[in-house]
Amino acid sequence: MAASSSSVAPFYRFQEGGDQLIQMEQHRHAPSAPLASSAAASAPPAPAPAPQKKKRNQPGNPYPDAEVIALSPKSLMATNRFVCEVCKKGFQREQNLQLHRRGHNLPWKLKQKGTNKEAVRRKVYLCPEPTCVHHDPSRALGDLTGIKKHYSRKHGEKKWKCDKCSKRYAVQSDWKAHSKTCGTREYRCDCGTLFSRRDSFITHRAFCDALAQENARHPPALNSIGNHSIYGSTNMGLGLSQANRQIPSMMQGQGINHSNNNDVSPLGRARSGQLFDHLLAPSMGTASSTFNQPLPSMGSPSPNNFLFQDQSNQSYNSQEQASPHQGLLQNKPFHGLMMQQLIPDHVKSNNNDPSPSSSLANIFNLGMLSSSSSNSNNNSSTSSLLNSGLLVPDHHRFKNEIGSEGSNLLQRSITSDHHQISSSGVPSLYSTSLLQNSNHHDFSPPHMSATALLQKAAQMGSATSRTDTNNNASFLKTFANYSSSSGIKSDRSPLAPVSFAGIFGGDNNLQELVNCAFGGGQDHHHQESAGDAYDGIYDNTNKTGSEQSTTTHMGQHGMTRDFLGVGEIVRRVSNNGNGNGNNGGFMDVQRDDEQRRQNQEKYGLMISDDKVISSSLDSAPTSQTFGDFR
Amino acid sequence: MAGMVHDEGSSPVTPSPLQMFSLMSLSPGIGSPYPLLREVNPEDRGLWLIRYLTGCANHVAAGSVENANLCLEQISHLASPDGDTMQRIAAYFTEALADRILKGWPGLHKALNSTKISPVSEEILVKRLFFELCPFLKLAYVITNQAILEAMDGEKMVHIIDLNSFEPAQWINLLQSLSARPEGPPHLRITGINEQKEVLDQMAFRLNEEAEKLDIPFQFIPIVCKLENLDLESLRVKTGEALAISSVLQLHTVLAADDETQRRTSPSASNSSNSNHQQRVLLMKQRTLGEWLEKDVVHLYCASPDSASASSPLSCNLSPKMGSFLTSLWGLSPKLMVITEQESNHNGCTLMERYLEALHFYCALFDCLESTVPRASVERQKVEKMLFGEEIKNIIACEGIQRKERHEKLEKWILRLELAGFGKVSLSYNGLMQAGMLLQSYGYDGYNLKEENGCFFLCWHDRPLFSVSAWRFRR
Repeated sequence: MAASSSSVAPFYRFQEGGDQLIQMEQHRHAPSAPLASSAAASAPPAPAPAPQKKKRNQPGNPYPDAEVIALSPKSLMATNRFVCEVCKKGFQREQNLQLHRRGHNLPWKLKQKGTNKEAVRRKVYLCPEPTCVHHDPSRALGDLTGIKKHYSRKHGEKKWKCDKCSKRYAVQSDWKAHSKTCGTREYRCDCGTLFSRRDSFITHRAFCDALAQENARHPPALNSIGNHSIYGSTNMGLGLSQANRQIPSMMQGQGINHSNNNDVSPLGRARSGQLFDHLLAPSMGTASSTFNQPLPSMGSPSPNNFLFQDQSNQSYNSQEQASPHQGLLQNKPFHGLMMQQLIPDHVKSNNNDPSPSSSLANIFNLGMLSSSSSNSNNNSSTSSLLNSGLLVPDHHRFKNEIGSEGSNLLQRSITSDHHQISSSGVPSLYSTSLLQNSNHHDFSPPHMSATALLQKAAQMGSATSRTDTNNNASFLKTFANYSSSSGIKSDRSPLAPVSFAGIFGGDNNLQELVNCAFGGGQDHHHQESAGDAYDGIYDNTNKTGSEQSTTTHMGQHGMTRDFLGVGEIVRRVSNNGNGNGNNGGFMDVQRDDEQRRQNQEKYGLMISDDKVISSSLDSAPTSQTFGDFR
Repeated sequence: MAGMVHDEGSSPVTPSPLQMFSLMSLSPGIGSPYPLLREVNPEDRGLWLIRYLTGCANHVAAGSVENANLCLEQISHLASPDGDTMQRIAAYFTEALADRILKGWPGLHKALNSTKISPVSEEILVKRLFFELCPFLKLAYVITNQAILEAMDGEKMVHIIDLNSFEPAQWINLLQSLSARPEGPPHLRITGINEQKEVLDQMAFRLNEEAEKLDIPFQFIPIVCKLENLDLESLRVKTGEALAISSVLQLHTVLAADDETQRRTSPSASNSSNSNHQQRVLLMKQRTLGEWLEKDVVHLYCASPDSASASSPLSCNLSPKMGSFLTSLWGLSPKLMVITEQESNHNGCTLMERYLEALHFYCALFDCLESTVPRASVERQKVEKMLFGEEIKNIIACEGIQRKERHEKLEKWILRLELAGFGKVSLSYNGLMQAGMLLQSYGYDGYNLKEENGCFFLCWHDRPLFSVSAWRFRR
């Protein structure tokens, strides 16, 4: 029972806190395991479980240099293992003993929480039972209570017996919980089995054939999606550490390997296991050990299934391709770096710094491990809150990168287009979307979002309503006057061409754009109307709020709703104009109607201002742009 | 093609394709201008779509089926469920509007929908996809869990009632956090409510597995039922346990029955309930034109947020079902209740109100997807069609008890919850931090968080899309 300091792996430090220590290496086992269930204790758990174990354990202890504490069964189960040397009083916790020592005027030392990294060194506890998975340091449990209960439950004597159903429990609280509900409920599975406990019933159900049939209709993707959430977090951890948007996406392209591996039917799963054990051993390992359980719907191929499978197959390719392409990626210095980081990270079991000061990225990195191994309770509460599936960045987003080859990956990351123009899993689609992409760029630089379009529509509406007395032509009139225009089964077509002219009268030419945006573009109005439009907009700026009744000399403006907060934008734009200096005329335009109308050069300036507007709409990165949105 | 348009555009004399189109549309019989329009600047196309959608909505609201039909036909040439954002939105809104028109002929409507299959599994899948594709649910979960963690600090017995139980990730996360508590994990019970048994089975399996791994005493109690039919007695809340209630995008469904009850209890009140009128008009076309004009002027003015909120207390008071539901929740004396809801008023009385609100709301949501998911993604299309699309359809086409998606703004919920005896709890800065870190972990642009009076808003840019608020039992 003595601790053999020679056996201590340099990696772990054994704590002397307990009176006895048990060797923790695999080839040794606890000298005595005097417990009912430990029949296999004497057999060294040597090579046989190794491959399986390896898989499971590799993601490993997220806190590799936490103190690994191996207590003997006796000391583990001792109710008060910290004994005062003076009065022999025993304590469950060392802290309590220390406090007690203070009373004896003995030297005492309380550990401070959170002040010092060393002081709050994490402790993990091993199960003394050598055949137990938790006997391995990498699968140690994070708290003493947990290991105690675990040990009693799994390897201990079941001392507590329910009087009603003669079920036995090792942990008193379990027994209490059971006896409260014992006999009150019965659960019968479709297969005919009876259960008294709901959770065992549920567990049974999850495995039961009846359920499998029921769920056969389920697309496997359902399961897989749930599953992803777990290890996807690795990607995220990587992505997180970047400020650069492009890199995460690269990483995810990589990371998709494991997320996709699980998508699939058993076929895909098996294959992925073989393929990537060498590369992604840890994550795969967890994945399979966690999810190879007979989830009911696995075997049922559905359209989805095929789809996912396809993609994942491609993902293997892309994985293979991506690596050779690393050189390419190094064009961007960070990429290469991150790539390399990624792989080691997977292969060695994410040796995260356990210290709280570890970077954000590290905290997030834990996600994968903690949710799939039992070590998650080692995490600080912050990290563990963040580490589960909730934090998984979306792999779907990167599905597009699966199909594309390494070079595509690169390309995509280089085109740092805010809008992910669809490069789908299918290369051919990718190319078309590329075309689309360039289309966008030919016109107004980036593609307009729907919200921006709505804003613009409102903007135009307010402009056209200003210039055009015809109800039909104004967009916002449609909002505002829908009563009058819609109630009538109108003799005029609702699609009257006038309206087109009103809005789109302009060409793609910028000058015309100004017209159509601000002037309604009707020929006879033309420049004047543009001026008026500005006028109208600036009228609006004075009124926030969603409904406006501005009466102007043109009359019908009255019911325009500035429901999109156009005013805000325009104000912003005008600020831009000011800042630029070049556009100083813009303000003039705003202020001085007369001058503006007469001045052709100013008109030109307005054009440039229109650019400003659209760009501020498109990029819309910050708050003010969408400011008045309701 | 793009180049061509561009070249032409550079000479102001040449009519643009759009002008040409507008001319041609004079006589739609001659040729088809639409291929041309398809290739037009997406921005113009988007504007055009908005314009025509709105026009169409007007016609539908007015019950002028012929005009609406014309509009729909025009839009159909440009809208597309796999195009750009606006095309997609247009596709789903037209579908919704058409569905509304079609409801005017119940026979037709029923016949057309009689063979529709909506497999439960697909619905579940789509919810999962939404969880995966947008950070909103994750944010809501993180914030909710943080609030629960804080409220349950030191509690030994914790019971959580999940009113919309479909995503294990939320509770796995909580399990992990609880197991990391310095004082050790509590005994945890989670009661999950969902209409689908399969979902709850999955939940139970995953959560039990996780709890086993973490060695937390845990019990999952599935309750298969609709929220509005929930028998709170069946929740088996035990004495001495600390209760938390979590509702993510679910509470509004309880509002659904209100119209119905309202109409039944006070037939005179139906005057104020425009939606009923509209539906009836659409069905029977009994109202005169003059009446409509009059009515719509009223709508026009009440479409402002002020008047909407002014009318809100009324609708609050007139939702007996929600009232009694909240009261019975209150009766469980929860230590905490965290509510996530869509921050948009899709429970307006008129179609146009709802249409405009929904257009804005879903434009923003579609933009979220556009920013993160490639267009060709089947998953994205599924979320758009089966989640957003169905919601849009529900908001626009359905009335009465069928209209479940009665999203309302936080201001209304606050009124309602306070009326039911709940006191607001400020969400902690910690929660905001956690959520912020989560967003950061995504590295996606555009998502924002906003704090206001202790409640959080999950925003797309500055547009709040979802609200999270926390409540406690107050005597």
